[in-house]
Amino acid sequence: MKTSIVGLGQTEFSKNSGRSELKLALEAILGALEDAGLEVNDIDGLVRYTWDNTSEAAIVNALGLPSLSYYGETEFGGVNCCGAVAQASAAIEAGLANCVVFYRALNARSGVRFGRGERVLAEEGDWLVSRQPEPPGDIYSAPFGLLVPGQHHALYAQSYMGHYGLDEERFTDMLGGVAVTQRAYANRNPRALLKDKSLSLDDYRAGRVITHPLRIYDYCLETDGAMAMVIVSQEKARQLSGKAVDVLAAGQYIFPGSVPMYLYAEKTYSLAPEGAAQQLFGRAGLSASDIDVAMIYDATSMMVPIALEDFGFIGRGEAADFLSSGGNGPGGPLPVNTHGGLLSEGYFHGLNTIAEGVRQLRGDSHNQVEGAETAFVTLRGASSMVLGRA
Amino acid sequence: MTVIRPSDEYLEQPYYRHLAEGTLHLNCCNDCGAAHHPPSPICPKCRSFNTGWKPASGRATLNSFAEARHAVHPMLGPKVPYVITLVDLEEGVRLVSGIPEGMRFDLKVGMPLECKVIRFDEAFALPYFLPVGEGGA
Repeated sequence: MKTSIVGLGQTEFSKNSGRSELKLALEAILGALEDAGLEVNDIDGLVRYTWDNTSEAAIVNALGLPSLSYYGETEFGGVNCCGAVAQASAAIEAGLANCVVFYRALNARSGVRFGRGERVLAEEGDWLVSRQPEPPGDIYSAPFGLLVPGQHHALYAQSYMGHYGLDEERFTDMLGGVAVTQRAYANRNPRALLKDKSLSLDDYRAGRVITHPLRIYDYCLETDGAMAMVIVSQEKARQLSGKAVDVLAAGQYIFPGSVPMYLYAEKTYSLAPEGAAQQLFGRAGLSASDIDVAMIYDATSMMVPIALEDFGFIGRGEAADFLSSGGNGPGGPLPVNTHGGLLSEGYFHGLNTIAEGVRQLRGDSHNQVEGAETAFVTLRGASSMVLGRA
Repeated sequence: MTVIRPSDEYLEQPYYRHLAEGTLHLNCCNDCGAAHHPPSPICPKCRSFNTGWKPASGRATLNSFAEARHAVHPMLGPKVPYVITLVDLEEGVRLVSGIPEGMRFDLKVGMPLECKVIRFDEAFALPYFLPVGEGGA
């Protein structure tokens, strides 16, 4: 790719934003343009998730933008956070647009909650009724009570435990290593929702089980707010302030049974398609060992060990050793989710995951990895990206 | 466990109609014989539209399981904890299933299972999978 992320904008993370998703989106977009040193009228492209309630037309009308020459949407929500950047980059490289904003606005705590069955079920007399053709909560899985993404993640977790023969204690230490390390990062991040709440490994172990084998601390935070980022060509980025971070490679993948919820994928303990890592790093001209910091979309903590193995940062089955010994922590071989992640910073559906990669390469993370030149971002292997210092 | 059902238009489709009649049938290709799930108008192996339905053997292995302890809907409050399973059928397809209400088993990934269809009313039944010898098939 020959594009750069040149601006980030966001609202606060909160449990109740007190304003509409449209207003949140607009605040984030204006913030991102200001951060980039661009005018609002420079926007000529928008990308968003199909799941976002705020349409491109709503943004154009609200801002009175002269026109858009490109807009695009990606399916399956945060699964495609890096795919949306790939789409924006492809549009720029094809000459369809010059300045593309990727935005996400959601009142996912005070409004419709991803962690609740009400999102996918209708109450009809003594029954709850599903009309969903695809997971989560579809007509084949809902009757067994499989309704929300966090329950699917418990299935991946048990599959992983079974495949590698991990006992409960080693498994707990592995995921505890994710949750506790990320909370410590969040404690140093003033933006984080849980910046003032400490978490010890003993606290983690004592955490309430939500869907066994996952505990409350393994789950991301349902959050209100919005985030936006500005993407332009590398050439244009060089003319702007020094905040640009280059998109070295970005891609998205579907394989049979994979998205949206991997229920029917051949493997449930490994979620990236064969060859995804080689393709991504090959396009970036790097290898996994060249990556300085990783941002892994952690809807649950279980996504971290799986992604580390799927992309070759560690060997298959090595995640328990790596994570229980602080490999993801400050000074570890690969610091992961230095903002605190979706577990402890907040949930802007993957955009804050990307943003922390950008901040690390700008050198302004609250948990800065000294000299970071390259960052890796992924969601479950369904989309992934390599960023490089400009 | 269930207080959740597919809407009537889905219960009228062959997959759920066969279950309501007491057996698990799988959507199969009449040309190459491959089974697939969820049902689809085309065979993903040979791309033939000539598909039909065949009874499943009911033999499966446990791919994964999870115990929901937190109720994600108020009507599930009396149902937790309940166990959700992923099962790999002998025919090469995966199904989401579960352990029927009131039963408890010591589950292990990879263990053999057999199907037990449980009917809730005339139109609606579900395929559960139990450890072999525990009352399935």
